[in-house]
Amino acid sequence: MTTPERTVAERVERPGEPPPLEESVPARTFEIKNLSIWYGEKRAIENVTIDIATNAVTAIIGPSGCGKSTLLRALNRMHELVPKTRLEGTVLLDGTDLYSSNIDPAIVRRRVGMVFQKSNPFPTMTIGENVVIGLRLNGVRDRRFLNERLEKSLRMAALWDEVKDDLHKPGTSLSGGQQQRLCIARTLAVEPEVVLMDEPCSALDPIATAKIEELIYELKAKYTIVTVTHNMQQAGRISDYTAFMYLGRLIEFGPTTQIFTNPKDRQTEDYITGRFG
Amino acid sequence: MIAPKHILGTFDELLAALRNNLLMMSGLTDRNLGQAMKGLLERNDSLCANAIADDEEIDQLEKQIDKDGVDILLRFQPVASDLRRVVSAMKLSSNLERMADQATSIARRARKLNRHPPLPEVELIKPMYEHAMSMFKDSMDSFVREDVDLGHAVVNRDEKLDDMNGNVGRKLIERMAQDPEQLRGYLNLVFIARALERVGDHATNIAEEAVYAAAAEDIRHQKLAIQV
Repeated sequence: MTTPERTVAERVERPGEPPPLEESVPARTFEIKNLSIWYGEKRAIENVTIDIATNAVTAIIGPSGCGKSTLLRALNRMHELVPKTRLEGTVLLDGTDLYSSNIDPAIVRRRVGMVFQKSNPFPTMTIGENVVIGLRLNGVRDRRFLNERLEKSLRMAALWDEVKDDLHKPGTSLSGGQQQRLCIARTLAVEPEVVLMDEPCSALDPIATAKIEELIYELKAKYTIVTVTHNMQQAGRISDYTAFMYLGRLIEFGPTTQIFTNPKDRQTEDYITGRFG
Repeated sequence: MIAPKHILGTFDELLAALRNNLLMMSGLTDRNLGQAMKGLLERNDSLCANAIADDEEIDQLEKQIDKDGVDILLRFQPVASDLRRVVSAMKLSSNLERMADQATSIARRARKLNRHPPLPEVELIKPMYEHAMSMFKDSMDSFVREDVDLGHAVVNRDEKLDDMNGNVGRKLIERMAQDPEQLRGYLNLVFIARALERVGDHATNIAEEAVYAAAAEDIRHQKLAIQV
């Protein structure tokens, strides 16, 4: 035999299995250490420490009020828009403290984009204007550049083919699922490093949901994605890592396959198997 | 530790039904193997006929368990221990069905043997039967009680059954050479021994599934992996 034999173990394909999030992982977009956030007197999240891997999808799951949206919003300082918030701990984005006094929250939100539960295109703007508004607000005027970025963003959001002839129509003329992809295109247009998604499919029908899920899967090649979802099957399908939160605390965090086949914590097991309450 | 009930009561009911059908299937398989072996050792054709006829019920249970398992996967998308239990139940049912097929095969050969004068070598089969059945019972116990240690222990006992089968085979081949007149009878005993060895293989599979269901640990084919 002239060709070298491969072992059975080498021949078995193991697609899509993320590496354990330990020392060996080279790239972490966020390093969150001992993070606690208060809304007035109420502590919404308590002493959360978690790393978010680069070019991977991390899903945050947990019952309502567990602090998952607060944790997500802390990643681009969105939670500060709620009055009387207070934060302790650190959030490092590529090693830089997001909450350092010399950091402009507007810059943070450009680097860390966000897509919300309900699609929110600007109602007075056309489809095209909706996509490039972020660039315009940042002073970009070059029409050719804007047009290029418009097409690129819509293509990445898997919407270009559906709207390329209707760019002048109002954003609100689109279907719910298309509006959500328009909002994703708007987020991508400013070329963020991270896309945060707060229940991006909860207002959509199954077909529109499938399109967004497919899109999330494709986008992770270029972006780090953190998503909050109530849909555990969705978390199982789209994410590489899953964090389970309960009563403001991070109960368990690990590769999604492990969380959904063999969770280590009893509370995680009870929640994902529908025994909670 | 008893897990708390699911919020969806129907989910609990379907999981319980799946488990009950599996236990019934295991009980019937145990009975069929017992009847087939008793039919052999006591030269009782009607027990053999029972073992053959009752196989149909086990086949139907296998289909029912697969149908219920698919139904649960479809309707409830189980995860974690629930998922492992459903997947294991479906694999167990297939192993139990094949074990019952071995009972049928033993019963058929016993009926052939019963048409001729008794062979004292039948006694060689008895220790194999006892070993295989103790593996079977413990494998089911390890599944029901989620006893990981017992599951591992059952897997380790399969080698002894393989050795016993080898020894019985060698002795029967010696007898064939000494007494060619009884060649057919000895050959039937060789096949019965092999059927019991297969029962041990299925018990091993069940024990491996029990370990997976309880601890999410895949202990199959470990020897092969080490050799590779």
